[in-house]
Amino acid sequence: MPLADRSWFRFTWPFAVAVVGIAVGYALSEGLSGYFVFLAVSAVTAAIAILGLGIITGSAGMIALCQLTFAAIGAWIVAGLSYIDAPGGFAVWLVLGGIGAGVVGILVGLPALRLRGVNLAVVTLGFAAAADVTLVQIQFPGSADGTAVHRPELFSSDRGYFFFSVIVLALCGLAVFFLQRGRWGTSWKAVAFSERGTASAGQSVPGAKLTAFAISAALGGISGGLIAGQVQLPFASSFTPLQSLALYVLAVMSGAYLIDMAIFGGILWVLVPELLKQWGIKLDWGFVIFGALGVQALTSGTNLGQGIRNLFYRRADKRRAAQAQAAGDAGGPASPSPELSPAGARISTTTVATLDPVADANAPVLVVDGLSVEFGALKALDDVSFEVPAGTIMGLIGPNGAGKSTFVDAISGFLPRHGGRVLLDGADLAGMSPTRRARQGLRRTYQQDRVPPSLTVEAYVRFVARRRLDRNEIEHTLAFFGCPPARSRLSSVDVGTRRLVEVAANVLAKPRLLILDEPAAGLSHEEHLALAVRLRDLPARFGISLVIIEHDLDLVRSVCPRLTVLDFGRVLASGPQTDVLEDPAVIRAYMGETELLQ
Amino acid sequence: MIEGALAGLAAGGLYAVLGVCLTLMARLVRVVNFAQAATGMFGGFCAVWLVTTAGLPIWLGSVIGILIGGLLAALIGWIAATWLSEASLTTRSAMTVGPLLLLISLSFILFGNKPQPFTPIIAGPAFRIGGVVISQVTLWTVGMALVVAVGVHFLLTKTRIGTQLRALSERPTTAELLGIRSRPLAISVWFVTGLISAIVIIIVAPSQSNDATSLSMLIVPAAAAALLGGFRRLDLAVVGGLVLGMLSGLVAQIDEVALIRNFLPFLFIVVLLLWTQRKEVWDAAR
Amino acid sequence: MKKNLLAATAVLAVAAFALTGCRGSDEGGGGEGAPIVVGSVNTISGPATFPEASAAAKAVFDKFNDDGGLDGRMIEYKALDDKGDPASATAAAREIVGSDEAVAMVGSASLIECDLNADYYAQEGILSIPGIGVDTGCFDSENISPANVGPFNDMTLTLLYGSEELGLTDICVLLEIAGSTRPAYQAAIDRWTEITGKEPLYVDDTVPYGASDYTPYIVKAKQEGCKALAINPVEPDAIGQVKAANAQGWDDVTWLYLTSVYSENFAKAIDDAGAGIYVPAEFYPFTEENEINADWRSLMEENDIALTSFSQGGYLAATYFIEALKSIDGDVTRESVTAAVKGMDPVENPMVGDPYEFGVVPTAGWPIALKSGTNAWERVADDWFRIPAE
Repeated sequence: MPLADRSWFRFTWPFAVAVVGIAVGYALSEGLSGYFVFLAVSAVTAAIAILGLGIITGSAGMIALCQLTFAAIGAWIVAGLSYIDAPGGFAVWLVLGGIGAGVVGILVGLPALRLRGVNLAVVTLGFAAAADVTLVQIQFPGSADGTAVHRPELFSSDRGYFFFSVIVLALCGLAVFFLQRGRWGTSWKAVAFSERGTASAGQSVPGAKLTAFAISAALGGISGGLIAGQVQLPFASSFTPLQSLALYVLAVMSGAYLIDMAIFGGILWVLVPELLKQWGIKLDWGFVIFGALGVQALTSGTNLGQGIRNLFYRRADKRRAAQAQAAGDAGGPASPSPELSPAGARISTTTVATLDPVADANAPVLVVDGLSVEFGALKALDDVSFEVPAGTIMGLIGPNGAGKSTFVDAISGFLPRHGGRVLLDGADLAGMSPTRRARQGLRRTYQQDRVPPSLTVEAYVRFVARRRLDRNEIEHTLAFFGCPPARSRLSSVDVGTRRLVEVAANVLAKPRLLILDEPAAGLSHEEHLALAVRLRDLPARFGISLVIIEHDLDLVRSVCPRLTVLDFGRVLASGPQTDVLEDPAVIRAYMGETELLQ
Repeated sequence: MIEGALAGLAAGGLYAVLGVCLTLMARLVRVVNFAQAATGMFGGFCAVWLVTTAGLPIWLGSVIGILIGGLLAALIGWIAATWLSEASLTTRSAMTVGPLLLLISLSFILFGNKPQPFTPIIAGPAFRIGGVVISQVTLWTVGMALVVAVGVHFLLTKTRIGTQLRALSERPTTAELLGIRSRPLAISVWFVTGLISAIVIIIVAPSQSNDATSLSMLIVPAAAAALLGGFRRLDLAVVGGLVLGMLSGLVAQIDEVALIRNFLPFLFIVVLLLWTQRKEVWDAAR
Repeated sequence: MKKNLLAATAVLAVAAFALTGCRGSDEGGGGEGAPIVVGSVNTISGPATFPEASAAAKAVFDKFNDDGGLDGRMIEYKALDDKGDPASATAAAREIVGSDEAVAMVGSASLIECDLNADYYAQEGILSIPGIGVDTGCFDSENISPANVGPFNDMTLTLLYGSEELGLTDICVLLEIAGSTRPAYQAAIDRWTEITGKEPLYVDDTVPYGASDYTPYIVKAKQEGCKALAINPVEPDAIGQVKAANAQGWDDVTWLYLTSVYSENFAKAIDDAGAGIYVPAEFYPFTEENEINADWRSLMEENDIALTSFSQGGYLAATYFIEALKSIDGDVTRESVTAAVKGMDPVENPMVGDPYEFGVVPTAGWPIALKSGTNAWERVADDWFRIPAE
């Protein structure tokens, strides 16, 4: 097993990097001249602020133009605590400053729950502008009588303070690294890609957004607290909205969600004005350069950090593909391993799913009673009622526009205003949000691709499953479905396979009921048949019930012993497969499908 | 109190015009142009330079300055239309932050940072309400906001170009396939809004603080005004601008709220917007 | 794309390494024949800049060097930009005092650097003669003594002029507060009250810096019945305030401003000054040709430096410093310079009302006025106007 996969290595290497970083910081603090040490503190504070921006903008995909305002709040708290000589010392004040800024971040993030994209950007910019004017008026604590902020005792010289700030940067970097790798980080990337997909995975969307705001604001606050200690007399001019805009541009350009690029961004923040100064150019050109670079980064659609990483990824992928060729693997990641398929199972166009009387006698896992959905005058669903016994597979078919997707949306909670009742294992789902329904055991997949490509397969699977999984279970299930290995990046996998991963992840969540919305779309004919084999096996192997929406009648016939047919929002027929398919109303709806008459 | 509100009407008219420009851009070319006021500022400063240093007559200098403002906006629009034509509104808007920074700093370099000696084109009081004088500039800006909003509405709903523009905004690629030349159309929208913002800034700048930063940062209250209409409704953008200006003026006179007075108008708009959008839980596509 | 990325990162890495100075690089100061290092911290970029003070000081030092310097020793002058940013201001001070080992700071003009660096200067035993002191730290620190009167004494002067010379009643004070200036301005107003027994009609200290529209504040002042407004704005804000009053048709208000608006640019921008704009100029008025400013004026014109009170301040600071230098026997080190500056006799100069003495804040201003329609400043007194001594 390669070194990178061993769990102890995965846990300890970030700490090793952090220790090396702190050692480098110490060496620099002794080796650099006094002026550059001071400048380096500015680079560190900018790096921490950009680290925060990386979370809110890079990972969670929300534009926040007020990062330095959060820094101002942190500086304000630290200056205030220093002014009243609060106990604990600078380190404690710094943490409190970060927490205070984080709380304000949550408040500023509350509008984010309803406002998206540019609306949110405007709100944050307005907040920054208003806070700037207020800050100039009320000033920082201690500035009225020139009381300096007390630095930490052990690190009060400029060199010592730089070393202290490097330690803080290393700690922040570690924290961000583990957060990004864990559930929170995955939830941020998921919510950036698709809010619906995130909710159906049982992750609270407001929760994901607010944690992103809180952490990024807290990092901003820590950065501001460090600035307060650096200049010891903070001024509002360090935290203007214009500088927040410049910082945002720098974060986007460098790819701040990557920790090393955040540090690089911090260095750039200081380096560009320094270079201009050395060459005798007016420092106003600094923002001109940032502006131009920002335009370049945003038009090219990629950033420096991602660009460099993609180079490495491409080379690694090529190497792995070459190795796979050499080892003689046939077919690549999409073919399911033969020893996992049920003995003697082969699907052909004439295979028919048979009813299991034992399973049919189970209490229903899903009861739909009189479900109606209206969009204005249009009745998308009209008095839909049927039951799905636990441990069985129900197929939901119907012509285009019949209301199948509306049905799934209503059941999974995205259309709260519907008539009728939906019962899951006897419990009424009325009033429950999609997130809550997912956590109750009702999972669904999507017709569109709602799998965030920025994640790895493993991260995504763990996120969707919402329970402790060990490596073997993950690998096993992925292999069962013929998905790529857990370490693959979803961006290097095609859409059809991504949606297979979605199915596998939802299966691993061990839900009571899983609704699959056209799972075979995007797969080749061979893959259709292979998938059908797997689906038939799911209730027995994993103990879940299925409702499958499909257009491919071969797959439906071979997998689903029970069918429900929708047409124009009404149930045409519901029951055992043979009865439904011979129903004249159904045949009329599908007139022209001569195969059904066979 | 009323006097305070009326005192803020001049600013309100300015916010309304810029807010209408922003809404227009958001609807037609899918972008919130953060550099909207900055391009107008740069055009205005060029006009001042032409009049004071190059000695051109005021009308000629102003016209050239307005054209420069429009051309700058068109340049940014060309960048957006060429490289970001399929990108989301958010990405396109984020791109305009770059030119905002660039233009402010460039104006410091080219024109210095002392306030520019604008010669007023329109000046003086118009009439009196209570103890407050409504200036001509106020009348002009409020009037401009109304005229532009009504004119644009008429253009979009009743003319052929309007239909093409609306097709362009919803589905640029489909519009191209239908034979609507989307790039020139999009760039001309940028150009026209650039002209409008340059005109209003040249009118207003002589009567207030006219350094590069405060003029460019007019984008903040303008965006707040447009935010009220959700970047879709022109009428609400006009109302938002006027209300924002009047609220700011009103609040400036109340000593008790001195600390939070900068936040109040903005909070008002955000609360109102959240109220109107309270039912929209899920963004349609996402 | 690949090549561009790698090239870009390589260039940046090289540039970063090229910049990093290793410890103990520069050895400045001291020794026979070595240049005398003098520095200043100025706000030269960003929205509000004061480049003329250090430019004027440099011109003075260059002329001094051309005339032979101090027995052959040249003055090496280093003016750094702090961009209005505290981190840069503190970094700049450390570069000049720590790395370059300057013997004195002369000619600084910054919004913030006095407050920020006062302790550092005291710790390093270096004195600073700013050309123009702006923040409070310039006027209450033992190591800093600017050449100008400063906004706080200027506020007292303008109030005194308004109430005593112009006979105005109902004076309202509007303050733009930044940093630690509120108590200093209050002290200035209180001094005026002490001397005259009068009080302002009201004091509004919530006026924002750099607002785009001051109409609400003007309307409020008009309604309260103010006959005169004493305000401490920077030039762009002052223009905004006067324009707002013009728009309201308020043409009988008297404006009592500070030296910060004394410039030709301001005069050109204001057509309607109400009942007049009055300023106690910190140095002898320069907008008309006269003999007192002749030397300064010719030096500025030779070197293409703008004619403003800032360049007057820088010129004077450099001149005072050279006086102190000439009085040193023996080595020119930081200690000997400090002793010389502190101990020298008060330097007289017709450009200022009080002779310059380190640690004493000047209290004399020359009244000037800008009347409607003239677009030019004029002197309205024949002598310096002073704050009466205690």
